[in-house]
This record gives sequence, C-alpha cells and structure tokens, in this order.
Amino acid sequence: MKSPDSKQSTPISTKPILEEDIGLLRRFFRGRIWYGTEWYITVVGGLILFFITIMTISAPWISPHDPNEFVGAPFVAPGGGPQILISLTDEQEIIDTMQISNLVIGVHRNRSGDKYADTIGAEKIRYQSQNELIAGLEAGEINYILIDEDLEEELQFQIPSMMVIARDLGLRFPLGTDNLGRDMVSRIIWGARTVLSVAILSALLSSSIGVTLGLISGFVSGPLDRVISLVMDSIYSFPGLLLAIAMVAMLGPGMINVAVAVSVIYIPTFFRVVRGQVLSIKEELYVEAARSLGAKARSILWSYIFPNVIPSIVVVFSINIADAILTEAGLSFIGLGLPPDIPDWGYDLSKGHSFLVAGHWWLITYPGFMITLVATGFTLLGEGLSEILNPRLVKN
Amino acid sequence: MSPGLRRYIAIRVLLTIPMLLILVSVVFLILRVLPGDPALAVLREGASQEQIDAFRASLGLDKSLPEQYVEFISGVIRFDFGESMTRDRLVIDDIKTFLPATIELALYSMIVIAAVGIFSGAYAAQHRKSAADYSIRIISIILYSIPIFFLGIIFQMSFGAGLGWLPVFGRLSSGMSPPNSITGLYTIDALLMGNIPLFLDALRHLILPSLTLGLILGGIFTRLTRANMLEVLEQDFITAGRARGIRERVLVYRHGLRNAFIPIVTILGLQFATLLAGAILTETTFSWPGLGRLVVDRIFDRDFTVVQASILFFAVLVASISLVVDILYGFIDPRIRY
Repeated sequence: MKSPDSKQSTPISTKPILEEDIGLLRRFFRGRIWYGTEWYITVVGGLILFFITIMTISAPWISPHDPNEFVGAPFVAPGGGPQILISLTDEQEIIDTMQISNLVIGVHRNRSGDKYADTIGAEKIRYQSQNELIAGLEAGEINYILIDEDLEEELQFQIPSMMVIARDLGLRFPLGTDNLGRDMVSRIIWGARTVLSVAILSALLSSSIGVTLGLISGFVSGPLDRVISLVMDSIYSFPGLLLAIAMVAMLGPGMINVAVAVSVIYIPTFFRVVRGQVLSIKEELYVEAARSLGAKARSILWSYIFPNVIPSIVVVFSINIADAILTEAGLSFIGLGLPPDIPDWGYDLSKGHSFLVAGHWWLITYPGFMITLVATGFTLLGEGLSEILNPRLVKN
Repeated sequence: MSPGLRRYIAIRVLLTIPMLLILVSVVFLILRVLPGDPALAVLREGASQEQIDAFRASLGLDKSLPEQYVEFISGVIRFDFGESMTRDRLVIDDIKTFLPATIELALYSMIVIAAVGIFSGAYAAQHRKSAADYSIRIISIILYSIPIFFLGIIFQMSFGAGLGWLPVFGRLSSGMSPPNSITGLYTIDALLMGNIPLFLDALRHLILPSLTLGLILGGIFTRLTRANMLEVLEQDFITAGRARGIRERVLVYRHGLRNAFIPIVTILGLQFATLLAGAILTETTFSWPGLGRLVVDRIFDRDFTVVQASILFFAVLVASISLVVDILYGFIDPRIRY
C-alpha cells in the first residue's frame, strides 16, 4: 500500500518503486510509508515487549522486595501499608523522624516496620509474630512498636489504652500485598522473568522440532511425509491444554517440565507452516536450477529452501510465544504449573481467585493485566511482522 | 447420493480411525512411559514393597509395555474403561455424568461465538480500512490475548459478586434439583419437562461461562469471518448486485454472508478443539461440573483410569465434530472429493 508520502520522499523518476526494490532493513525503518497501520501495530507490540524485557533484565535492581518475602500485612490495598508508631505511654505526637530514630522500637521481623527501623537507624527488637509483638508491648518489655496502619482498628479494640504517636512511616505498597503479605510489585516484576523464560524456552523447543520435521516432510514427500503429517494433524486437532495437563501431572512441577509440556502442543503449528512453504518453494525455478546444476539434496534444503522459510518461522514464533504464555498461565491457574517458590502470574491469579468473594480485586487484576499485556505484545509483533516480512503469507 | 460422495464419506470415516489411534497412543505414552509412578503417587510414602507390587499388578503395570499397550487398546475397543481408582464406581458412569455439562457449555458458547464473530467480522469487512475495522481488529487481538480464566474472573467480580445479577458458580442454584436426565443438557431437559423456572435457572447459570468462552474465541472468529467476507465481497456477483442498485447492507448481510457461510462453518468446526481447551479453563473458573473439571480434579487424585478415559472422550468429541463438518462440506461443495 502506497501513501502519497512515498512520492515526496523519492526523487522524481519515471520508474515506479516496487516493494521488492528496497532492502528489508529499509523497508522496516520506512515501514510507516509502506505499510500504514500495519507499521503501528508492529511498533506498539515492539514497545510493549521492550518495556517487559527491560523489566525482566533489571528485576534484581528495580524490585523493591524479595518476591517471596512476607514484607507487609496480608491484603494491604494498593497504595496502602504505611506503618504507625504505637505506645501505651501518654505522650504527645512525634512528627520528627530524628526523634523516632532515638527510640528503641519493637518490630515484626522482616515486615516493612523492620526495614523502616533500619533506614532511620533506630534501635530495634525483632519479634517473630504480630501477636508476640503486641504481647511485648502489653507486658511492658518495649515502649514503642511499629505496626501496619491496617491493624490499627483491631489493636484499638484489643488494647484500648494504646496511643498512635506517629503516622505514615515507611514505605507503601503501590500495588498492595497478597494473601501472605508479599509485595505485589515485586511479584509482578519477578513474574515477568518466569513467564518469559518458560514461554521462550518452549517456543525454542517446539520450533526446532517442528521446523526440522516440516523441512524433512515437505522435502522428501512420500510415505514418510504422510505418516509425519498424520501424527502432526492428530496432535493439532486435539485440545492442546489437555496434553499439557497430562504431561505436567506426570513430569511434576518445574520450569523445564512446564516448558517441555507446552512445547509439545505447538510442534504441529510450526510443522504445518514450514511444510506448506517447503512444498511451494520446492517448485520455484531457482530450486529447479540448482537441482539441474547437480546440487545435493542437503544443500538444496539448507541453502535454497530453509532461508526462504525463515520469515514465516519468525512470525509463527512470535505468535507462538503469546500462545505459550497463555497456556503456561492456564496450567498455573489449574494448579499444575511451577513450584510455589517461583513467582508466577498464573499462580498469583489462581490464589487471588480463591479470595474473590472477599473483594480483594488487586490480587487478580494486576497479574491478569500483565499476562494480557505481554501476550498482546507478542501477538501484535507477530501480526505486524507477518505483513512486513512476508506479505504473501497474510494474503493466503 | 453420488458414488463420488459415497467414496469421499467412506474414506473420511476410515481416516478418523488412524487419527484416534494416534491420539490414544499419545495418551498411553504420556501416562505410562513418562517418569512418574502412579503406584507411588497413590499410595504415598510408607507403603511396603508388597503393597506397591500388588497395586501395580492390579493396574497391570507389572507387565511389559507392549502387553500393556495391547490390553489398553483392546479395552478401548470393547468400550471397557474399568473402574475409577479413587471412587467406587465405573469410569463410564463418571463420563456420563460430566460429559453433558461440557457439551451444553460448548453449545451455548458456539452461539455466542457465531453471534459475536459473524456480525463484527462482516461489519469490519463492509467498512474495510475504516476506524471501525481497525478497532474491531485491535479488540479481537486483545480478546485473543486475555487468559480465558481472567475474563471469567472479571465477569464474576463485576456481574456476580459486584452487581449480584448472575450466579457465578455451578450449573444450578442450590435449592434446585436437576431435571430428569434425557439428554443431560439441563436447559433442554427442563424444557422437555415443561419446568420453566428450572430452565431459566439453568440458563442464568450458563450466561457468564458461555459469554467468557464465546468472547475469547469470538475474537479469532471475527478475523476469520472478516477475511472470508473480504474475498466474497470482491466477487463479480456482488459488483453485479451493486450495479443493479441493491442496497449495500442487503448485499453484505444477505448475499455476501450467505456465500461466506460455508467456510465460516467449517472454521467453526475446526475451532472446536480450541473451544474444548478453553472449556477446561472456563469449567475450572466457574466450578462447572464438566469433563475438563473431571480431568483436572482427578489428576490431583491420581485417578489414572478416569483421566485416561476422559482424555479419550475429548479426542472422540473432536474427531466426530470434524468428521461431521467434513461430511457436510462434501454434501454442500461438490468440488471436495478424494
């Protein structure tokens, strides 16, 4: 598709510029002119994936907490989670952090109060649980404690004589915490790593097997081709998730196992696309020419046919990653995915589902949104690339 | 029926057999050859070697793999799926209870898919390259990328828990007793009994699950319909109709859609496997007592006989749908022959 722009950007010439006349790279960078909306789809997909990749690589530095650490109270709403300083003594409100840092403060071990005491340099006594901490205050072991703001009402009921002497201390949880008090931001950031590694690993596995089988099957034809095609078509026509469920159940949880199980169901996709392409490329004149010049079968397959299949593989690969992400999330949602110590969006979503009635929407919304975002990114990229790399593929 | 058509149908039916055999073998390979011993899984720790051996013998796991394979296949042919390993009942009874729920969900989802897909696809094709066309395309890409269970949970949160309009779990409200099993589909059975309140209750329970499943797959379907409609709208008879002054809307929705219908129905048949995969997740989300739910539940119980048989029934379901679609296609389009 040519827009009026293309005429302005090229010198006046009687010869029309065809798409085939310019290189792949130039076509890519001048995509807006040649491909119109298709170009925007690619760019949006690419931007989403760029953002996710940055997040994945920099997870250790940008993640505020360990994704498995219980850093706050359970079910802290998004933006909540500041600490309050509580005392039983009748004291006036403290606003200055300097004054707090001179106190000896009781904290719940590893919760955000613990971290806050460190950052201001206060002396602290760490308690193993919330109950021990409150008991310590009641018994007079300690004069000041830091607890989550959410627990204030509960505590007021338990110890009516308590006084809040400072508020809004320490960090907040921008996306809240989950049912065990783990920081959602950290789980989202680290979850991206898990999702991407499983999906890319499985796409690599299924593409390497599917492409090899497709090349062989399309090239040799005959009975071997018929047998491979029949097996592939059977697997293709079957609800893939079921196969993956059965495989993961047998192999046990684990990243490699899940990737293997997911990869099996997408082998036929690569196989079908590659085989179809090989069948048509085989008939091209340049292949015929190579054959008549005495090129060996292997060299025809690798030097003449394979390079022409690559654009289709790239497109299928991108869309396949999106599918693999959804399947992996589905497995985790069912409860068959990864071991619980690996942060995973699908797992978080299924945990959140069991607290649905309580109205803790943030446990579900953020992981679900992220899965959708990443899958959309790969689908958009694949869609756009299919038009840019191989316009014929779409038309067929 | 012409001899050609008869030959086509015969070959198509015969082709289903190797396909099912391959699927059965794949299931066998997964459940028997992959590492993971059902005996250890069922008996847990602390079982003595004799107990394990006895258990393996009772399942026939002590025999050689080829022997097990022959036994497994002959069981399938005799329609003998054995007993459930964790519950005291025949596997086939479990299947009879759970299969109709999946079929009912699939049927109603098909209606949603067709309604969403055909109309938005035809509209996008009619207004090609307009803002509406691009929006429909983007929405269908996003719908395709939403995990089915996430959409289901959003519906549960908004229409169920939030607004309280629709039930979010199960097939019937707790006070209702299921209708006499005639077809096993609650809505149809209730209508056959003439029990309108029961029918409405079953229907209300179906809305959210089938909407979830239907919308997600409707995204794929919209794009396929659009592509097919574009092809049809380029044909000469549409131009001829336009020249005769037939209104554009009539052209697209009556003349065009009717001609695009055959490939569309075929694709709907081919999407059935995707529909069933989605049904497994939808059933888990909505506690829908279907075949997918049965597989998932029993896999955690390590009830291998039930899992094996359920997967087989999924395969049979897919194979028979694609068989029916292909045969119908043979009737409609005389060019399709082997």
